[in-house]
Amino acid sequence: MSFALRARGISKSFGGVKALTDVDLDVVPGEVLCLAGANGSGKSTLIKIISGVETPDSGTIEIDGEEIVTSSVAAAVQRGVQVIFQDMSLFPNLTVAENIAMSERVKDGVKVISGKRARSLAKSVIERLGIDLDLEARVENISVADRQLVAICRALALDVKVLFMDEPTTALTWHEIESLRQVVEQLKKEQVGIVFVSHKTEEVFAMSDRIVVLRNGVVVRTGATADFTENSLVEALVGYLPEDQRRVEISDTGEEPPALSVEGIGVESLFADVSFAVGRGEIVGLTGLLGSGRSEIAEAIFGKLPIDTGTIAVGGETKTIRSVADAITAGIGYVPEDRLTQGVVLGQSIERNLVSAALGKVSSSAGVLKERLLAETSRASVAELQIKTDNAALPVSSLSGGNQQRVVLGKWMLTDPKVLILNGPTVGVDAGSKATILEILRDAARSGMGVLLISDDVPELVSVCHRVLFVRRGRLAGELAHDEVAEPAIRERLVR
Amino acid sequence: MSTAVADSSTVRDRMSALWRRYRGENNETTLLLLILALVGVMAIVEPSAITLGFFGDIIRSGIVTLALALGLLMIIISGGMDVSFPAIAIFAGYATITLMQSLGVDGAVWPFVVAVAMGLLLGSLNAVLVARYKMETLIATLGTQVIIRGVLIAFIGSVYISVLPAQLDAVGATSIMQLGGTQVNVLVIPVLVLAGALAWVLRRTMFGRSIYAIGGDKESAKRVGISVKKVQVAIYLVAGALAGFGGMVHVVLSRHASPFEIVGTELNVIAAVVIGGALDSGGRGSVRGTILGVVLISLVQNSLIRLGVSSYWHVFVVGLVVLAGVAIQARSAAATHRRTRILERLETAA
Amino acid sequence: MTDMKTSSTAGLRARATSLWQGATRHHAYDLGLLALALVVAVVFTLINPSVYASQLNVESIAFSVPEVGLMALAISIAMTVAGIDLSTVAVANLSALFIAWYSAVGEAAGQGPIVSTLIAVAGALVIGAVAGAVNGFVISRLKVAPILATLATMQIYTGLAIALTRGEAAYGVTAPLSEFGMGDLLGVPYVFWFFVLVVVVVWAIMTKTTFGLKATLTGASKVVSEFTGYSYSGVIVRAYVLTGVISALAGLVMVSRTASASAGYGSSYLMLAITIAVLGGANPFGGRVAITGAALAAVVLQLISSGLNMVDVSAYIYQIVQGAILAGVFVVTFERQRLLQRLARRRTAPPEPGAPQPAPSVVREKEPA
Repeated sequence: MSFALRARGISKSFGGVKALTDVDLDVVPGEVLCLAGANGSGKSTLIKIISGVETPDSGTIEIDGEEIVTSSVAAAVQRGVQVIFQDMSLFPNLTVAENIAMSERVKDGVKVISGKRARSLAKSVIERLGIDLDLEARVENISVADRQLVAICRALALDVKVLFMDEPTTALTWHEIESLRQVVEQLKKEQVGIVFVSHKTEEVFAMSDRIVVLRNGVVVRTGATADFTENSLVEALVGYLPEDQRRVEISDTGEEPPALSVEGIGVESLFADVSFAVGRGEIVGLTGLLGSGRSEIAEAIFGKLPIDTGTIAVGGETKTIRSVADAITAGIGYVPEDRLTQGVVLGQSIERNLVSAALGKVSSSAGVLKERLLAETSRASVAELQIKTDNAALPVSSLSGGNQQRVVLGKWMLTDPKVLILNGPTVGVDAGSKATILEILRDAARSGMGVLLISDDVPELVSVCHRVLFVRRGRLAGELAHDEVAEPAIRERLVR
Repeated sequence: MSTAVADSSTVRDRMSALWRRYRGENNETTLLLLILALVGVMAIVEPSAITLGFFGDIIRSGIVTLALALGLLMIIISGGMDVSFPAIAIFAGYATITLMQSLGVDGAVWPFVVAVAMGLLLGSLNAVLVARYKMETLIATLGTQVIIRGVLIAFIGSVYISVLPAQLDAVGATSIMQLGGTQVNVLVIPVLVLAGALAWVLRRTMFGRSIYAIGGDKESAKRVGISVKKVQVAIYLVAGALAGFGGMVHVVLSRHASPFEIVGTELNVIAAVVIGGALDSGGRGSVRGTILGVVLISLVQNSLIRLGVSSYWHVFVVGLVVLAGVAIQARSAAATHRRTRILERLETAA
Repeated sequence: MTDMKTSSTAGLRARATSLWQGATRHHAYDLGLLALALVVAVVFTLINPSVYASQLNVESIAFSVPEVGLMALAISIAMTVAGIDLSTVAVANLSALFIAWYSAVGEAAGQGPIVSTLIAVAGALVIGAVAGAVNGFVISRLKVAPILATLATMQIYTGLAIALTRGEAAYGVTAPLSEFGMGDLLGVPYVFWFFVLVVVVVWAIMTKTTFGLKATLTGASKVVSEFTGYSYSGVIVRAYVLTGVISALAGLVMVSRTASASAGYGSSYLMLAITIAVLGGANPFGGRVAITGAALAAVVLQLISSGLNMVDVSAYIYQIVQGAILAGVFVVTFERQRLLQRLARRRTAPPEPGAPQPAPSVVREKEPA
């Protein structure tokens, strides 16, 4: 049997922490292999090692029967390895055509480049995918969905032998996903080995031939897709069968005004005519594709991106929100989309991060910090949110992803918000932490807070949300009421 | 994917599209208009100043700045900063003259080659600190600046050399043409050739595109297979070589050599590059813009002289102009970082 | 996640150890600088004990630490907010010139020495605060990178000083300032006491107040601070006002000590001040408060300067040494980190998903956006 890719005994650790232990991965030409694993299971590290971005501590990699001796991206690209990275890894300052042509240039080792060649190459890939992109636009000026398409085009511009796709469809609509699916079928016929990473279980079952499950850096199960059921896959992923049943408490808030209500809000060119309310004690889901405007709506309510039109009311009172400080004063908290760059300061201590949004609580009116109060407050937070550390003076970077996210949550809980908005709070978080975080949200709602949960994690939405709102191209596009919230209904509406 | 339908877009949209098309990748058109406006103001305020000699002066004072700006441009596009180039330049220029004197040799072309080699060698210091030790580029080059200048003055020499070796001095006296009362030196040709060569390298070679790629997103560059370290090393070596050449141009044009010169003029050079559209955060900039930036700075300086403004005010005025230029570029850079449209154009127009 | 309550004694011990580790980590760098200062002092004393350890030399070191030390403090604060202040020497000169000028004006107007001193100093502080506010405004509102902004304002402030003085030096200060600049208390110069006082106050501002905390977090991550509701320009303007005021204090010390001021004074101080700030532990990428470190590093550099002066080497050698120290700090930190990581890789820990790599301390902790 010949292999497109054969990785043996790959191990890698970062600063004493093992990310991968003795991982084997075989890819046969013409198959679609699904690399499954919870966040932090080592998928990304494995992809980076095979594509030469990272060097393994031990192990061997063969591509098309030939061992790669020194690992470098250039060497991997030479042998026909291409990766569509989750974060797209594009050049914002270069044109679409040049971004697409970049990997060919690296592969061929050209010294003098040709703009004409770049355009014709880009054009041919775009035509093959049957999509539409402005070749001369700079990537920083195109939409998120278009960027994802550019990343796909760049990987497909070359004759690939092994293609990695790390969550390539998070911003795409059904139509675009369908084009991609056809290209994948085509590539299979051309004997390309495809490794596919996706969170969408139905996508995994529809597209893959075989599944490899990684957990905590170890391969825990390998088998034909047909041998998996949805339940057995989930069990392999997290180690147990979680009861992510729908657990939603209906509390009767009577005639009380909603915790948050927005009326016809909009920001020029980003979103328009958005109206909805979140009751006290209610958890409302807001979902849509990547780049649909879901994050912008949240940031507008939070004052990060002040609204041009409409009104925002908290607890029935209309508030003028022109800045984040206004929003915090009005009683709004926001757990942002990107924990690492927006949520916490990694290099600073846990306690400082925890109190950072509620400094008034731990200082005198003259602005002098009360050290003891600060320590006590943060200690209480650490206990309440079960943050796993024995010293709150350590930097946040010493915590795992799930615990870091709890710090962000704790930071906003300390401001005693009336409304808590969360944007993808469980992305990159292990299964245990995820359950804890969702439980914290239920508790918060129970105590009368209004919670707006922005997420594209369908089971999560089903698990905690009273209602789910949909955003498409900057506008609200429907709502699922309490008794309609279910996985198939959400999925179907998402990509429509 | 949202292709705007032409007739549905508003007039404002069409106007801004037109402007986007013609303002140039790095606001070059704005800069050109600004330069023309300044010349226009000069022509009204002090018509007698607008002579051929005025433009000759601009070329003469701009040529050294341009020579020094080329290497810096590459570094800024790659997302770095360099304040060591003046030290490298004067080291290469002065040490070459000292070498010629002590060996008792003379020449017209090879001294330039020697200066370039010295620049390359000194640039390797920056290359090591930045590519291997990942030092903040400003701090690294501040460090190498004092080291290089310290070595020059402490060990090579600190005396003013008033007479250059004859053949080299002859280069400084050779002009290709005369603009008004000003001689345009022959060294304009190699400097412009170098500028043209760099423009070609930046636009048409993989090395040049890699510089933009690294400046745009270093991690992405790594992932696509560009060797960031190699490119960085090459950038700082070439920038060193260009600085060495620029130093020699300065010495030959001024027709004397002093180790205390050039260092302290870095602001003008940095300003020319940044005003020319190179972004301090990297990924953007062009030779064309840099040339315009050099012309603008040179124009301001020469205008102050022609307008008879007391020389005591020059530093202040040039500082203000630099601040204004840099602020304008920063604003336009911030504007391009606006979020990309989500709503369909058609709907918002309605 | 629930097994965090281990047996209480073990937990207590763990907490005690980590507290100790925290404390030593916190002060280890400053202790290292202190040790470095001692080594330098001992080495030069051994070379020539009768000169280096003489009271005269020690006093001259104590006289010369404050002005450059204060400038380093200013730059260290700018670095805390992920910036730099290249205009600090220019601001110091502008303030010093004002003091010298007003000393003469006040006397001519028949003001008492105390009154004219107070007005001169107040004016200098206002100049520092305004210059700093301009820097902060250009950086935070006009969004010009700190290095470009302060490079330009350095030119503007220096240009202003040249234009107003027509390039000439100003001489003479009031009697109280003259005493402040040259006198001593308990054998230690007033200016050194003053330096210690400023260091303590600035240290308290940066570590014990909400402003200090906001500045540190903003320096570590502008984006996070904005998502936390801090006004970016508010924090940055205040930080640079502080920087400007400290620069003005450096000018006060300068003019009091030398009884003269000029637009071009102390131009070599800029590089020295940056070296001191970096050696003191400031991170140019922001987020670290290193006030005590900067003070200690100022002493170290002055000990070296004085020693080199004693063995009669040129000022340019001292500059080379400065540059070498600046680069050396990074190189040593980098190599040490690499060595530690390699050691850590040998003793591999059990897998723990999601734990990030430790970042080398002086090296970039975040990529710029």
